[in-house]
Amino acid sequence: MPRPGLVLDVDRSTPAVLFNHGEQLRLEKLPAGRSRIIYPAEPLEPLADPDGAIAHALANPIGDSEPLAALLRPGMKLTIAFDDISLPLPPMRSPDIRQRVIEAVLDLAAAAGVDDVMLIAALALHRRMTEDELRHAVGDRVYDAFAPHGLLVNHDAEDPDNLLEIGTTRHGEVVEINRRAAESDLIVYVNINLVAMDGGWKSTATGLSSYRSLRHHHNVETMEHSRSFMDRHNSELHRSNWRMGEVLRNAGIKVFQIETTMNNDVFGTTGPLAVLQKREWEWSARDRVAVHAMKTGLDRMPARTRRNVFHSWRAPHAMTSVQAGEVEAVHEVTTANVYAQHLVPVEGQTDILTMGLPYIGPYNVNSVMNPILVMCLGLGYFFNLYRGKPLVREGGVIIMSHPTPWDFHPVHHPSYIDFFEQVLADTTDPRVIEERYERQFAEDEWYRHLYRTSHAYHGVHPFYMWYWGAHALSHVGRVIIVGGDRAAVHRLGFTPASSLSDALEMASDTVGPHATITHLHNPPILMADVT
Amino acid sequence: MRALVFRRKPVRFAAAVAAGRLAPGGGASVGPLRHEDLDPPALPGPGWVHISPRLAGICGSDLATVDGRSSRWFEPVVSFPFVPGHEVVADVADPAAAEAAGAPGGRVVLEPVLGCVARAINPVCPACARGDLGNCERITFGAIAPGLQSGFCCDTGGGWSTSMVAHASQLHAVPDTMTDEDAVMVEPTACAVHAVLATPIAPGATVVVLGAGTLGLLCVAAVRQLTSAGRIVAVAKHPTQRRWAADLGADVVAEPHELARAVRRVTGTLAVGDGDIDRLAGGADVLFDCVGSSESLTGALGVTRPRGRITLVGMAGHTRVDLTGLWQREIELVGAYAYGTETLADGTRRRTFDVAFELVAAAGLGRLVSATYPLERYREAISHAAEAGSRGAVKVAFDLRRRPPAPIPPTEPGAP
Amino acid sequence: MTTRPDPTRRRLPVNGVDLAQRARTVARNANRRVRGALRAVPGLRPTPVPAGVAPVRRRRNVGADYDTSWARAWPARMTRALLVEGLVRPMMGALASPTIVGLDRLAGRSGPMVFAANHHSHLDTPLLVSAIPEPWRHHLVVGAAADYFFANRLTSPLSALVVGAIPIERQKVARRSADLAAELIEDGWSVLIFPEGGRSPDGWGQPFRGGAAYLALRCGVPVVPVHVEGTGRLLPKGAKFPRRASTTVTFGPPLVAPDGEDARRFAKRIEAAVAALADEHSTDWWQARRRAHAGTTPSLQAPPDGAWRRTWALGGETERKRERWPLRSSD
Repeated sequence: MPRPGLVLDVDRSTPAVLFNHGEQLRLEKLPAGRSRIIYPAEPLEPLADPDGAIAHALANPIGDSEPLAALLRPGMKLTIAFDDISLPLPPMRSPDIRQRVIEAVLDLAAAAGVDDVMLIAALALHRRMTEDELRHAVGDRVYDAFAPHGLLVNHDAEDPDNLLEIGTTRHGEVVEINRRAAESDLIVYVNINLVAMDGGWKSTATGLSSYRSLRHHHNVETMEHSRSFMDRHNSELHRSNWRMGEVLRNAGIKVFQIETTMNNDVFGTTGPLAVLQKREWEWSARDRVAVHAMKTGLDRMPARTRRNVFHSWRAPHAMTSVQAGEVEAVHEVTTANVYAQHLVPVEGQTDILTMGLPYIGPYNVNSVMNPILVMCLGLGYFFNLYRGKPLVREGGVIIMSHPTPWDFHPVHHPSYIDFFEQVLADTTDPRVIEERYERQFAEDEWYRHLYRTSHAYHGVHPFYMWYWGAHALSHVGRVIIVGGDRAAVHRLGFTPASSLSDALEMASDTVGPHATITHLHNPPILMADVT
Repeated sequence: MRALVFRRKPVRFAAAVAAGRLAPGGGASVGPLRHEDLDPPALPGPGWVHISPRLAGICGSDLATVDGRSSRWFEPVVSFPFVPGHEVVADVADPAAAEAAGAPGGRVVLEPVLGCVARAINPVCPACARGDLGNCERITFGAIAPGLQSGFCCDTGGGWSTSMVAHASQLHAVPDTMTDEDAVMVEPTACAVHAVLATPIAPGATVVVLGAGTLGLLCVAAVRQLTSAGRIVAVAKHPTQRRWAADLGADVVAEPHELARAVRRVTGTLAVGDGDIDRLAGGADVLFDCVGSSESLTGALGVTRPRGRITLVGMAGHTRVDLTGLWQREIELVGAYAYGTETLADGTRRRTFDVAFELVAAAGLGRLVSATYPLERYREAISHAAEAGSRGAVKVAFDLRRRPPAPIPPTEPGAP
Repeated sequence: MTTRPDPTRRRLPVNGVDLAQRARTVARNANRRVRGALRAVPGLRPTPVPAGVAPVRRRRNVGADYDTSWARAWPARMTRALLVEGLVRPMMGALASPTIVGLDRLAGRSGPMVFAANHHSHLDTPLLVSAIPEPWRHHLVVGAAADYFFANRLTSPLSALVVGAIPIERQKVARRSADLAAELIEDGWSVLIFPEGGRSPDGWGQPFRGGAAYLALRCGVPVVPVHVEGTGRLLPKGAKFPRRASTTVTFGPPLVAPDGEDARRFAKRIEAAVAALADEHSTDWWQARRRAHAGTTPSLQAPPDGAWRRTWALGGETERKRERWPLRSSD
């Protein structure tokens, strides 16, 4: 029986805590008496028979929906959309959940004699997936059967011929999605719910949409009113997506949603990285040696090698639930299943929130975690992993640990480089950035070209990264990055510190000398239920 | 008089080349440049007067000479030994003699080009006849020794001394309201003015200025003040330079490695390369290369649009550049040297120096003089000037004002 | 375009069958002589059978009765593991360059399985022994024809040791074979069975027999359909020496018989699954699934036509030795 998450009060006997530090590790002593550490729950038991569970979910849908087999008929137009490379994190061991689900769906379609099937990677404004990445996601069998005929494609949010405006929500938001999907008799969306933000109407209304449509909820105003965007019922981001979903439904677009959840077993119980997932006081002598050896080794490795080592890791995480049927009903069940793994009850806010940022976030799979992504991972994702109220009090301090190298993947993140060189050199205020620069980047011909033909994130994507952190930026008083490249950290508008104790010293200027400290022990991911 | 003299000494020259490679400005300590006590130069003829420099700037071409990096192109157009220094604000030594020679009295700025008039060549060459003194075809002929400018000619002396001679036609009176610092910037400003006004810049054109040393910054100021260019992208290596560039009118200031991206952003053009920019598909309309290195020219060819214009303001010397882009994109590559007379947008002709005086005053360019040194600390001065960018400086000058006035030599030729 | 190397050039100038026969004769003669010599030693002479007493018939120690239990003891297992990893896999890699597809269908599974494969060639066994993934590879027995692999006292121990073979009667349903296999499965061993009961004589498949289905039903373990392609080119029935060819091994999703399904119908389903894998190999997975559901998967068995049409329908080319005139030195 996996143990639930816990909040540990730090006293003098508490061992040094493991901080992820990009592709490196740090061992830090937190001050006794005023610190606490939030540990995630242990991985939930995976489904014993995932294929059986998928078949069962397809045959027994949730909400107002017929079984999938009954929705399929010869001569129909079927589109299967699936989540892109940003999920799950890190990428999972083969076979990917998407492959299992898509094969099950296609097998039913084959049984029903469906001819016209198209598979679309619902990547919105993310980069196009490479052949290897697609193969990993859908499996070789599906790839080899569909890709050569042009029936397995990356969604293109800049292809005017392949977008269809569906309508406008009562808030005036334009709903525009992939034309092929919109004109299909049935969209089957195959989703992976890694965190509570994913899924629901966000799958179709965001994943298959265009910039024109996305900008209604991917903006500073929405993000500042999403408290947090991990808590659907208090998230403006989700309210907007749900309104768009209503428009889609009213337009007669039929979506059969398949959502899956997975456990948080990212480093496994055996294997070289298993120790990263253990609680420090339970480390054996062997674990301690392993951590020190790993730390020393990584510190001495060239950055490139280090990156390759980590990015080749395929996580053993496994499916814990699968549910299918009508979007909203399915998503309620999914969210409950995500919470079962992630929620850790925490009492009260803290003055200083510390976090060790890992090597991977949603947007640097097989890529470089550039400074903008560091900001987004810390202030966007980790800060927002709360329900109720933020872990850190208003005006508090966030201390993140990450090397924050001034380094970009030129193919994946070309507009990020310009954003960093030009926009952040001018201002770090999300609202000013949005007003002054977003249009220029969103409509830039070159970014558009790279997004459509290469493997680049859309020109506007770095703006969204910044907006993702907007709620945190307006909430906290100061952000300190430990061990980061000083120039890059300054450019982000944050304070660099060389060690955690320096950072805590600096933080005391903002929150006083006896401030309380909470450390978010991560990965694996947890979500704080703050009361 | 005290002066820094540059003599033709091959061994020392070789030492300067070596030292210059080790540290910029290193040639000052071991090279042919020496601080000496000399007789002031005699007046080469009628129309010449003695002037006593007050401030004399250290120019990039001076540094190249000191470190032995100058091209051999210059060999026939200089005469040894010479006293360097052509960015000069000075006092006319004898106002009465000056009046007789037709020169202004009081404070003057030297226009160092030695054209036909100064060389007593009559009739003057076609270039001088047009007023384009910088293009004079007779710089190795006439009454004085070869020398393209004062400061490279053995007969005229130079600004890095307490006394030199100048032809009346070379002198421009400095208004009383202008400081010496402003005045010493007039000559380099004139170079920038000439480069900018000789380059056709359409209203709204995107202009790139590569390099943010003195000339680069002055080009930024000249483009901003004298043309109706659109966006100006300045490329500067050092933080102080970036602040200056923005202050003088650049809209976008980029570091050298950001050049292609910065120009691409401003022009909104496509680029060749998969995220890493190899070169731009279009690019800037006009580019001023104030560096003149192989890297800067290669970069320039990659960010200038087809049929665009590159004006080479920096002294290039021996440079290896792939000119395929120049050919394929029909880019104009034109040099810009010195000054003379400019044709303005409205068709009127004006002396470059007159425009430069106005620009210096309007933009307050005297602020760019970061440090002055007495002559005897020339090694420090030269090394400061050679590392100006990294040391947060722009223009370094010799301050000769605290020296006792040099004895005025007899005006008649042949006297001791 | 790569030209196929002339296979005659690779062949050794001696005939393998001849060699084996010669070796067998030599061994037999030696055996006879040794026994004769031993008889000459008084103490070692066998006790004569008293008259009037019917001698106890000695148990036959070959064929279906061959006791292979020693080959599953640790020393033999270790030896086999070493042989498989050190010899069989590299050899098959070089000879058959196998592409192994569908391992993901076995991911996350464990426990004994029955692997049911089609059968073209003697090399199917070593190929599959190298292709079947862990944790099954080294905990595997192979059902081998008792009348062929366990024909004599030389081949019996070799078959048992090298591939972990157990003797299976193919001509009749033998209680002993089935009991042994079932016992092994219950002990955690997986079994590789070729349900066609023998190698394909002409490239076409033969109907699947019920053994694999029966075993799976009896022990309640899943059957993994496996399709082997290309070994027929590698070493067709009747060929003496293998040639290099590329092969594909496709593993299918494990099949479990639903309640109430009998061995015969389960066997049909296994055969259909292998046929679908063949279809998947020659077209693509989606086509194969659609045809499988529509019941139009091409059968592994030959069309019921005349011999020439069977060959014709197989396509491909038969190798012929051709006299060339004039002789060209270039090839």
